[in-house]
Amino acid sequence: MICAWKQLLSVLPHEIGAQVDSVGRDTMQELRLRLNAQPEIVSAAGSVWLKQTVRQEDLNYVVNAASRYSPWCASTKKQGYLTAPGGHRIGICGDAVCHCDTSGGFQRITSVCIRVARDYPGIADRIPDTWESTLVVGAPGWGKTTLLRDLARRIAKDRVVCVVDEREELFPEGLQRGKRMDVLHGYSKPRGIDMVLRTMRPDYIAVDEITGESDCYGLIQAANCGVRLIATAHGAGLLDLKQRVVYQPLVDRKIFHTIVLLKKDKSYSVERVVS
Amino acid sequence: MRWIGAMFILISCGGFGFSIAYNYRQRERLLLQLLNTLEMMSSELEYRLTPLPELSRKAAKVCGGVLRDVFLNLARELEWQSEPDAGGCMRAAMEKCHDLPACLRRPLRQLGQTLGCFDLPGQLQGLKSVQEICRREQARLEQNRDARLRSYQTLGLCAGAALVILFA
Repeated sequence: MICAWKQLLSVLPHEIGAQVDSVGRDTMQELRLRLNAQPEIVSAAGSVWLKQTVRQEDLNYVVNAASRYSPWCASTKKQGYLTAPGGHRIGICGDAVCHCDTSGGFQRITSVCIRVARDYPGIADRIPDTWESTLVVGAPGWGKTTLLRDLARRIAKDRVVCVVDEREELFPEGLQRGKRMDVLHGYSKPRGIDMVLRTMRPDYIAVDEITGESDCYGLIQAANCGVRLIATAHGAGLLDLKQRVVYQPLVDRKIFHTIVLLKKDKSYSVERVVS
Repeated sequence: MRWIGAMFILISCGGFGFSIAYNYRQRERLLLQLLNTLEMMSSELEYRLTPLPELSRKAAKVCGGVLRDVFLNLARELEWQSEPDAGGCMRAAMEKCHDLPACLRRPLRQLGQTLGCFDLPGQLQGLKSVQEICRREQARLEQNRDARLRSYQTLGLCAGAALVILFA
């Protein structure tokens, strides 16, 4: 298991960081900081509450350290999240500012949820080499991104894989990439897919978290060009996936032939879709 | 011996007047340098979205003297994440530069208050307002500059001559 633990600690205020390091080093899945409350370390075994109370400066420190004091680099902050060095996801809540129905950022941050990114090389070995498009389905926190990362890396041993990594979570600096892997950071998924399709001649395109219709149409466009896809989607099972309106274009067109269904305990089963 | 003493007094008083004039010009030069640096920072932000620690290092490279020290200190403070916000880092960076002229303190303090608080358009607007402060300060210094500088130099020389006469 590989985890950029030092980078995670670097975005935490020193006192909280020291406690987190001693309590959650190996097991922590999430760290939740809420204004004027105790920090909560969430692991598979349950929650542990730290002693120190979270102040406004602590929350500001986390957000500023994660964005390197540069909100203009973290354009996603407006959407309520940031990616810290090492690929750790930071969700933000607080008093948002809106201009004409578009989010303009946060006036005051009151809660922060840090999800620890861990890399488990070899966990995708049980997925058969079908050279077909593969969709990883699971609920939040079940390990979709981790599995996709390893699957993309494995496929990239033999085929050209272009990763459209919008939030720099899949392959942040420091994580091992595949031999034939090209990673595009920063662009939105539809735009990134279009770009790598035109310029990088990929065998596979990998994207994390299909969440919108435009993502689906971007993937369909790529599939129509003969490119295979590996992606993740939210869902508690195959039935749940089929019932979600947003995924209908993908289900109807049978874009994915292999579905990897994740379970809460992070184990998974593989299902084949007959085209 | 007397002549040497008289020359010594005259040169040191004259030198004092000239050094005041030199400092005055130096302040103007620093303000101009800060203006150019802010211009560079705006371009870097607009076209490359450079992160703040890297931007501060770049700013330190394009300016010299005390300004270079301020920006280098700022880059270090940001990299060490010594304060919860960029404004605090700027304050700490300025505190380490004891010979920072008063005319630079205000625009730099203002720069610290705007850095890292807003998204790109807000940050560019913030830089613009600091540039405006610099220009106002520059205009104030330029007012009657030549006459004032001449008087500093002449006063220095005259004070020296007066002392020579008094001691003679």
